[in-house]
Amino acid sequence: MFRKVLVANRGEIAMRILNACRELGIRTVAIYSEADRNALHVRFADEAICIGPPRASDSYLNVPAVISAAEIADVEAIHPGYGLLSENANFAEVCRASNIKFIGPPPEVTRLMGEKEKARQAMKSAKVPILPGSDGILTTADEASEWAKQVGYPVILKAKAGGGGRGMRIVRDPEDLPKLFHAAFTEAANAFGNGELYMEKFIENPRHIEFQVLADEHGNVASLFERECSIQRRHQKLIEEAPSLQVTPKLREELGRMLCLCLKDIGYQNAGTVEFLMDASRQLYFIEMNTRIQVEHPVTEAVTGVDMVKAQLRVAAGERLDAILPPKLEIRGHSIECRINAEHPHRFTPSAGKITAFNVPGGNGIRVDTAMHAEGVIPPYYDSLIAKLITHGVDRAEAIAKMERALGQFIVQGIDTSIPLHQAIFQDEAFRAGEFDTGFMERFLAARAEAERLPA
Amino acid sequence: MKKQEIEELRELIEFLKQHGVAEYEADRGDTKIRLKFNPQESAPAGLSELARLLKAAPAAAASPVASAAGASASETAVDPESGLHFVKSPIVGTFYGSPSPGASAFVAPGDHVEKGQVICIVEAMKLMNEIESDASGEIVRCLVTNGQAIEFGQPLFTIRPV
Repeated sequence: MFRKVLVANRGEIAMRILNACRELGIRTVAIYSEADRNALHVRFADEAICIGPPRASDSYLNVPAVISAAEIADVEAIHPGYGLLSENANFAEVCRASNIKFIGPPPEVTRLMGEKEKARQAMKSAKVPILPGSDGILTTADEASEWAKQVGYPVILKAKAGGGGRGMRIVRDPEDLPKLFHAAFTEAANAFGNGELYMEKFIENPRHIEFQVLADEHGNVASLFERECSIQRRHQKLIEEAPSLQVTPKLREELGRMLCLCLKDIGYQNAGTVEFLMDASRQLYFIEMNTRIQVEHPVTEAVTGVDMVKAQLRVAAGERLDAILPPKLEIRGHSIECRINAEHPHRFTPSAGKITAFNVPGGNGIRVDTAMHAEGVIPPYYDSLIAKLITHGVDRAEAIAKMERALGQFIVQGIDTSIPLHQAIFQDEAFRAGEFDTGFMERFLAARAEAERLPA
Repeated sequence: MKKQEIEELRELIEFLKQHGVAEYEADRGDTKIRLKFNPQESAPAGLSELARLLKAAPAAAASPVASAAGASASETAVDPESGLHFVKSPIVGTFYGSPSPGASAFVAPGDHVEKGQVICIVEAMKLMNEIESDASGEIVRCLVTNGQAIEFGQPLFTIRPV
């Protein structure tokens, strides 16, 4: 096992990694920007090194500064957490060149999975279902029509140079394709100077389902089952759960097997998450893979009993999967996580400042991962996640009941938080019944806005 | 400081005095302590002597100093002279006072330096980064030692500006 590990991150995930290291007897080195001088991860690490000014690009994302800190602290490995440098293949390469173990997959694999088309091909070869689409750019409306027949309506035309929803058109009827093709092309050309379009199958109201995987460095891969993350606002997850009510044991087993084969084939190592969209008929389509630990890993830890971060450290230290995982992996109970953000529950404006009161809920089946505390200050430079509240019950109903109870006891004063928003979602009939998709938050917020407009 | 911490600090001071240590400095995270003993009271001990002594001492001797929270020993408070300019490291790395091993130091206390003049090297990732003074004046003190690990913003020199 490693003697000393540097945690190349901040906030709650830095604490998470520190905790796992300490429990394994690994000495920890924290890095911090000047804005995080009094952060919890700095205080609880064995050693701490200031690596730059507040802005992430000058500190946490500054590869030479991070590596230099690793060198002077004489660490054996770096855990990159999530976000920041965790999926930066260049950083992983620099670690390798500096003789420091990067806790994650090899740079070549990160690069492969980072290229959308290559990742799709890799999955396709392993018979993992992928979201059908055009092989590249569509030059004419006729070409688009041909592709649409193959892909199957409804389809979405997307601008290659695009983003922000511009240069996109959903086509449900073959008759509408030519005119929508031209409309999308023109809009893209005007907005981005490039009208080139490609096509993807459009899933109406998809669910977001993702599979957790873990691979050792000896060619063994295991699936730790799925999570459902459909409660999102503007593509930011708010609530995640494990397992998904929509995934049947058969689907879980089949997909798990296919993923393990695919990942073994490409030489995957360490933890990763494979993301899918699920349509109304429970068909899954691969969209992308994240080659790192994810924010919502605690719900998987709850239902499988596997400590994911310790598993990452152990894999990186060369241990085999059968020494790390239980002989039979199974799902026990149901777990839900709420991401508590420092933002206004209605306006979603970020809230920076000093926390004056911080009462964290506890009790049976309640877990809180946070780097915040009373008198803590939220700096304005980083993301707004301040805590993760996770519950684990024998079934979804109990996990919900625990979450409601815990949310009601999670008191944060001095800043705005999304706690009231979460409380409102947990009261929602559709949510409670498990009837939702990625359009849920939009509908929920619209309904709330409508309810507030109506006279009392 | 808490009562227990003051006790532990007192013990440390006694220990250092007994073994004739002239100066002791510990810097950890958000705490920094510097103790300087009157030269008449004890025979000065070199840093290597100090290192040997600390190895022999119970581990508790070093940690209470490092964990003394809220130490008002910020850089400016500890240093008896005020109005001085601190040259701080712009990068993380290893400090070297001279251009190469065995060569004479870039600067010494008393030297006059101009803004922009190279006064030391901080090595990071095998690259020797020349650190320039950001003020003109007289070098008062070098605050770090050759080969010491340096963090971002760590004070390296004090300069009396002109």
